[in-house]
Amino acid sequence: MSATQVRLKTRKPWTPSQIVLTLIGAAVSIVFVAPIAAALFTSLKSEAEAAEIPPHWVPKVWTTQAWKALWETGNVSNWFVNSLVVSVCVTTIVLVVSALAGYGFARTEFRGKSLLMGVVMSGLMISPAVLGVPLFTTVQQMGMVDTYWGMILPQCAPAAMVYILYKFFQGIPRELEEAAFIDGAGRWRVFFTIVVPLARPSLAAVGIFTFIASWNNFLWPYMVTNNPDLMTMPNGIATVMNSYGIQWAQLMAGGLMAGLPLIVVFVFFQRQIVAGVAHTGLAGQ
Amino acid sequence: MTTSAQSVAVPARARTATATATVRRKQGFQHGGWFIAPFLVLFALFVVWPLLRGVWLSFTDANISGEGASFVGLDNYREALNDQAMWDALGHSAYFTLLVVPCITLLAFLLAMLAHHIERGKWLWRLCFFAPFLLPSTVAANMWQWLFTQGIGLFNETFGLDTPWLTDKSYAMLAIVITTLWWTVGFSFLLYLAALQGIPDHLYEAAKLDGANAWHRMVHITLPMLRNITGLVIALQILASLQLFDQAVVMMDFGPGPELSTRSFVQYTLEQGFTSYRVGYASAMSIIFFVIIAAVALGRMALLRTREEGTR
Amino acid sequence: MGRPDLNRRQLLTAAGGLAVAGSFGFAALGTGADALASGADTRVRYWNLFSGGDGANMITMLDAFRKEHPDIAVKDSTLQWGNPFYTKLAMAAAGNRAPELGVMHMGRVTGFSPGRLLDPWDVDLLAKYGVREQDFNPALWKRGVIDGKLYALPLDIHVQLCFYRKDVLKKAGLLGDDGRMIPVGSTAEWFDVLKKAKAVQKKGLQTIGLWTNDQNFQWWFFVAFYTQLGGEWFNAENTEVLFAPDKATQVLEFLRQHVTDGYVIPGAPTGEQFINGAPFTWEGNWSVPVFSGAKLDYGATPLPPVFGKQATHAESHAFVLPHQAGRGGATNDGAHQLAAYVVQHAQQWAAGGHIPAYTPTLSTAAYKKLTPQNEYVSAMDHQATEPKVWFAGSTGVLAQDLGPVVVSSTMGSAKPDKVAQTMKSHLTKLLASKNPMDGRTAAQGGAVA
Repeated sequence: MSATQVRLKTRKPWTPSQIVLTLIGAAVSIVFVAPIAAALFTSLKSEAEAAEIPPHWVPKVWTTQAWKALWETGNVSNWFVNSLVVSVCVTTIVLVVSALAGYGFARTEFRGKSLLMGVVMSGLMISPAVLGVPLFTTVQQMGMVDTYWGMILPQCAPAAMVYILYKFFQGIPRELEEAAFIDGAGRWRVFFTIVVPLARPSLAAVGIFTFIASWNNFLWPYMVTNNPDLMTMPNGIATVMNSYGIQWAQLMAGGLMAGLPLIVVFVFFQRQIVAGVAHTGLAGQ
Repeated sequence: MTTSAQSVAVPARARTATATATVRRKQGFQHGGWFIAPFLVLFALFVVWPLLRGVWLSFTDANISGEGASFVGLDNYREALNDQAMWDALGHSAYFTLLVVPCITLLAFLLAMLAHHIERGKWLWRLCFFAPFLLPSTVAANMWQWLFTQGIGLFNETFGLDTPWLTDKSYAMLAIVITTLWWTVGFSFLLYLAALQGIPDHLYEAAKLDGANAWHRMVHITLPMLRNITGLVIALQILASLQLFDQAVVMMDFGPGPELSTRSFVQYTLEQGFTSYRVGYASAMSIIFFVIIAAVALGRMALLRTREEGTR
Repeated sequence: MGRPDLNRRQLLTAAGGLAVAGSFGFAALGTGADALASGADTRVRYWNLFSGGDGANMITMLDAFRKEHPDIAVKDSTLQWGNPFYTKLAMAAAGNRAPELGVMHMGRVTGFSPGRLLDPWDVDLLAKYGVREQDFNPALWKRGVIDGKLYALPLDIHVQLCFYRKDVLKKAGLLGDDGRMIPVGSTAEWFDVLKKAKAVQKKGLQTIGLWTNDQNFQWWFFVAFYTQLGGEWFNAENTEVLFAPDKATQVLEFLRQHVTDGYVIPGAPTGEQFINGAPFTWEGNWSVPVFSGAKLDYGATPLPPVFGKQATHAESHAFVLPHQAGRGGATNDGAHQLAAYVVQHAQQWAAGGHIPAYTPTLSTAAYKKLTPQNEYVSAMDHQATEPKVWFAGSTGVLAQDLGPVVVSSTMGSAKPDKVAQTMKSHLTKLLASKNPMDGRTAAQGGAVA
């Protein structure tokens, strides 16, 4: 509704207040983009130039040596694939598992449900940062240290996502399901043919948010992997690349490679991502 | 006013009451429990079990090898409460939270107002303010570590300073705060923006008819309508900030910062567990931390409840 | 409201399908660093912590070994340096999933419960493959011996060095006829050298890089100079603290003076400063490839003996045998063979700046030609090391406790004499504390050989 209204108004004249606001907006945007631009410029310098004192913004000699070196040392492409595998798996599992659970909590009745719900909600307060050491020893006992499973599974029980979808499923009119039940459809069929399609925006929101969080997750993969071949992008860049010493150009190139995919995706799917993040965030109220 | 703001921002909650009003006879677990089962398995394995395990380990002198632990009663807790380094680390996390939360809330609000009121190029502002949030924490931290490095960093160069951001204990935490603001403000910004867009236009139009100027509309409509979202932003930020770890360790090269000044609670716990191999002691600290986090979360819930009752 | 019950058969089908899909599609997800390689006669798994240039050098040596011994399949895994490496090695040894061969810092061996998490070397077997005690610096060899058994076979020593730029020192008249820095024998002489260098150096840079804010480096420098003063840590039984606060104060004041006299820009990146023209920097020898790569005209000597006696901080990479319940047989033999081979063929290793522990290497013509390695090889004979207790060693508890305290003195936020007292109290506390791995204090940790 508000979107159409905005569109109708786009041909507004430049009032003085709009000019001032736009200028402020531009200035603030420059501040926000500057660090990323600096990283990009640095990645296009030679290592010697990147470490020059005093520093300067734009490369005097443009070179792609850092990007080339990054590919040649090999690890980075591994990390990229690892990040992709972990994030895709986590997102898939989280979507399936929390959609089922959200629906279960919203629409089925069984003994002990409210107690279970309470327990699950208390899980909102637990993260690898809070319970890192015991969680690690648990995963260690399962023999999953330095495996993909060890990275993936502990990220797959987010109470928050269940809660968000639970809220959403509660909002779906029951009549839609009732009609199908009367037609003789089973619970599972109703879920997959009626409820899931209705929930697509919410599922997209949860999926997007989970993917971002998992792609960017550092703490847990950091704790659970030592083998550089198994590291994800954020982890590899922070630990292995940092230990090489003075190679700022390469470090920036690696950082951009980890960060840019999401930013590019964002440019194309801005509306969905904004809605997704806002939706998941707002649901916390 | 407040009630209408709630129903705008949280449509789901309003519907909850009517949906659950249909009373249904409780049945055995198999009547729907299977939907929840996959989640429950994961939840039990990776949330409930580690928590219980943490409680048990905190009463032992377990080491990282996972064998030979013996029961030591409350010794770990006693030691932790007397451990100055632990209190210092908690202090650092709290100090960081104290600096970050007000700044980020205010900044997110101002950015959202800006992006909401500029009529042209909305997508561009949104992109610029939100993009840093899409970077992994370690990448954001590396970028700023480089910007802040004395001599070769562009931050001092640009502003004509010569500040030892990363190596002096009076600046190190500030450097981390600045990095965090830049990196995470986009998330709260989006929440504010969504809330602003959710305020119905007719409220403003009615106020205009009543002759209210822009300032009055802001004070009497916008701010009250944003009260809930502000509470949410603050709560989420407090919980996230207390768990400070990524930015701090990366910017300090995995060390505790100049004279331990940026060693956060999470970092100290992990050091105890993984450097000193004292899993029992680290578990006790984890439990203490869990209690703190739970207290904050429950505090917020209590606050919300009293407010809701007040408006009823 | 006729709501059908959950159809159990549907559910089981779905679950079964998922399980099957899971075991096929995701089977690869369970593999990790320990993945078994198949089809080898004798498989030696080898965990090390070498990345970057060191890693490349190690792989070259391993490839040479593979070529000469095709019957032994070496499966090497490079893990991230630092505490995570030790954590993982400890867990693997405790869980009986240990590799046949590993690498550790010598200083960490004592804390690693030799006998529980580490197995001793078979010295006769090593001799069979050409490695004998007399080929090593005696002090170095002894560091690996605990309770009369050899637990760590040294590969190298790596030391803290004083790097200097010959172009700057020449201008300042600080180079001798041999093209090396003139020797320094006292703190007064040392600061005189800094003064002269500062007069001719490029403006805007620091005179010397000291890692003033880095707890590891500051700790290593402290150990070096404290040893130069003849300072002690504990008595032989590890029951009493012999730490001398007055000597420590001297060292701390010396480190601090670099800052107060303006030779250091605290926090400035030391390597970058040196490459840009700062005359001195104190760094580990692992910076040699970096500076050589930058094509600098530079030299490197052990840290100057400003307190009269030569001593520079040294650590050592050493081969260890992580504990295996069934250690023995062909794989154990292979581990001995591989370690012995690498130790004896460490010429390649010296390119990374490390001093090979196998002394015959040092007298080869090829090694003598390496610069600046040939300038600091003497560091082998006056190593300053941490005490031999469970909490010592590279990035261990001792360094983690005392490093920040040293930094606080160098950076000027605490007075040296007070810091020296603090250090003593930390040492007292540590000596009384128990090793979490076996519940024993340093004194109970066995009579150290």
